[in-house]
Amino acid sequence: MAMAPRLRKFALTAHVTSSVGWLGAVAGFLAFAVAGVTSQDAQVVRAVYLVMDLTAWYVIVPLCFASVLTGFVSSLSTTWGLFRHYWVLLKILITIPSSLMLLVHMPPISYIAGVAANTPLSIADLHGLKIQLVIESGAAVVVLLVATALSVYKPKGLTRYGWRKQREQRALSQP
Amino acid sequence: MADPPLGSNSNNRVRLGRSSPPGMPRWVKIFGLVTAIVLVVLFVILHLTGLGGMGSHH
Repeated sequence: MAMAPRLRKFALTAHVTSSVGWLGAVAGFLAFAVAGVTSQDAQVVRAVYLVMDLTAWYVIVPLCFASVLTGFVSSLSTTWGLFRHYWVLLKILITIPSSLMLLVHMPPISYIAGVAANTPLSIADLHGLKIQLVIESGAAVVVLLVATALSVYKPKGLTRYGWRKQREQRALSQP
Repeated sequence: MADPPLGSNSNNRVRLGRSSPPGMPRWVKIFGLVTAIVLVVLFVILHLTGLGGMGSHH
């Protein structure tokens, strides 16, 4: 799928912005999750879970979808492709399950925010779920850092499919 | 993602005249191994502490 250079740059800018924004938003979410576990102030704990719910639905989920979508557009509009290079393939294998995990864990986030909105949350209430949010958002930060590093370093390595495609292109370009 | 990789100094170019497909790079194997170990450890920790599974959400 050929794209004009300006459009390709725009897609790349959108991809980098949404991906790094996704990482930043998850890092903020992690800070809130830690505050929810460690704070002794019931008002702070309630506020934290309400903000986490809003952040998750209105910042993290949209950025996640934007990152995945613009990633596909950027890949398909260049010779990087989707399955030609191991680093691109690994990024897909990281991003898609992460996005699915995010969607699976949205209901528990809304649940704890609903509890926080209606009743004062003490430090002991829903302790397991609070810890789980810390672990999962910490893991998400690590996963997104790995994806970012792959994008920056672009470690070499062609897949069999990429190797075949490159040979085909060479054969076509030679007289 | 970035601009196309087929520049003259690209690391991802296949050596000329190579007739067999390249094998999987070592970094991919190490990456896969580390990921698998981390996933297993996480799975074990979450289940040992009783935090894993959708049942713990409510």
